[in-house]
Amino acid sequence: RYVRQLQRLQLLFSPTAADARGARQFVEEAAQDFARQHPDVVLYVSPHSGPGPAPVLRAEYLNGTVREELIASKTSEEIVQLATKLANQSGLDIIRIRKPFHTDNPSIQGQWHPLTNKPSILTVQGPRMQPQ
Amino acid sequence: MVVLSAARWVRSRLTDRFWRVQEVLKYARHFRGRKNRCYRLAVRSVRRAFVRSTKARREKKRFLRALWITRIEAASLEHGLKYPAFISNLLKSQVELNRKVLADLAIYEPKTFKSLAALAQRRRQEGFLAALGDGKEPEGIFSRIVHHH
Repeated sequence: RYVRQLQRLQLLFSPTAADARGARQFVEEAAQDFARQHPDVVLYVSPHSGPGPAPVLRAEYLNGTVREELIASKTSEEIVQLATKLANQSGLDIIRIRKPFHTDNPSIQGQWHPLTNKPSILTVQGPRMQPQ
Repeated sequence: MVVLSAARWVRSRLTDRFWRVQEVLKYARHFRGRKNRCYRLAVRSVRRAFVRSTKARREKKRFLRALWITRIEAASLEHGLKYPAFISNLLKSQVELNRKVLADLAIYEPKTFKSLAALAQRRRQEGFLAALGDGKEPEGIFSRIVHHH
């Protein structure tokens, strides 16, 4: 079954700032539909009064990563697209993956060492003889 | 009063020079000397580094293939076979494993590699018999070819 990696979305904006207009429109129009379409994501809307920091959309994932995206001077549709993009992501860091594969047990028959293909007399220690 | 363009005596100042410089310097942080600090030197070094990294992608393929061949050669010599004999006999027995997989098997699965070397050796002997014997002996078992249609 698919488990959505996004835990909660926090919408921090100020109700009076000019660049938070898109955020306010999103809250009025599209936030309810978004919350209904993604039932396993909790959407928190926290307006802070007065002039404060820039409006931000904070996404918290199940592995603890917190990702903040600026939504200043963005339209409501753009914020919806941003929110769906964050909802479809997982919380892993967005860096270059060095290899597309990974194993915890790379060797089943035992990794090669210089004594694998040598006669076993070199490796095996027989029972020690008692000094007589 | 509608103003469509700014007046001529109004000039705009460059305000994000810091970030434009940091965009280049972030790729030069692990360089040696003043190239990792001074923008003028870093621009040239970063550009050369990028050019070299794009050109090196073609050579990486050659380099890795040579590495795999060295490893397979070493592993097959441990089992008494030379690399050309090993590869050619493996292909004749319709075992189409590439060098990357063969090198990984030689490192992580030594017993499998030993059996592949034994297969190549057996096919080699059958090839010699078929070429030198020219008699009424039946064809070798491992020389049979399977046709997939």
